[in-house]
Amino acid sequence: MADETTAPVAPPQDSRREAMAYVIGVAGWLVPGLGHALMKMWGRAAMCFLTVGMLVILGTGMRGNVFSTSGNDAFDSLGYLADLGTGTFYLLARSLETNGADVSHAGGDYGTRFLATAGVLNLLAALHAYEAARGRKA
Amino acid sequence: MNAGMGFKLSHLQSMLLFALLISIAFGFLSRRRPIDRVKYIVWSLFLFLLIGVGIGWAMYPFSR
Repeated sequence: MADETTAPVAPPQDSRREAMAYVIGVAGWLVPGLGHALMKMWGRAAMCFLTVGMLVILGTGMRGNVFSTSGNDAFDSLGYLADLGTGTFYLLARSLETNGADVSHAGGDYGTRFLATAGVLNLLAALHAYEAARGRKA
Repeated sequence: MNAGMGFKLSHLQSMLLFALLISIAFGFLSRRRPIDRVKYIVWSLFLFLLIGVGIGWAMYPFSR
């Protein structure tokens, strides 16, 4: 009789698939759309790249706040985490915003939200790619 | 809109752009068939705008 107290050992194929899913998830986070592109989901890949890219370009163009590690409070730290969600586009945002943020106008405030939304949206897309790579219906 | 010096958008333009981009992203992520995606995007965009304008009007009495 089989010992039911021991956890079943995952077949090598499953562990390989899980590792691949992690790679796809991280790739999707680093470059928006890359996770889906690796799975040949071209429409979703292009959509992720374009929407996250547009939000970042609009957010920096509106002089939104691109948060850094030198935050003063918890909201700054949360904003930094959200901005980091854009992966390499965070560096793009920092390089684009040469004049610095200007949140004294509504436009700058909107820009801050655009940037944070880009990050959270990219994290959602990366999670979607990860789940799809694991074989979950996507 | 002044692309050279940055984007100068009104409240309505910002909301429209935001709603459109997020609706497209959600539509592509959550639906597979193109017709389903279009339906989802249109419905999501409509709700974004309806709720946005609704909240705007709900806040109007407190604006002064």
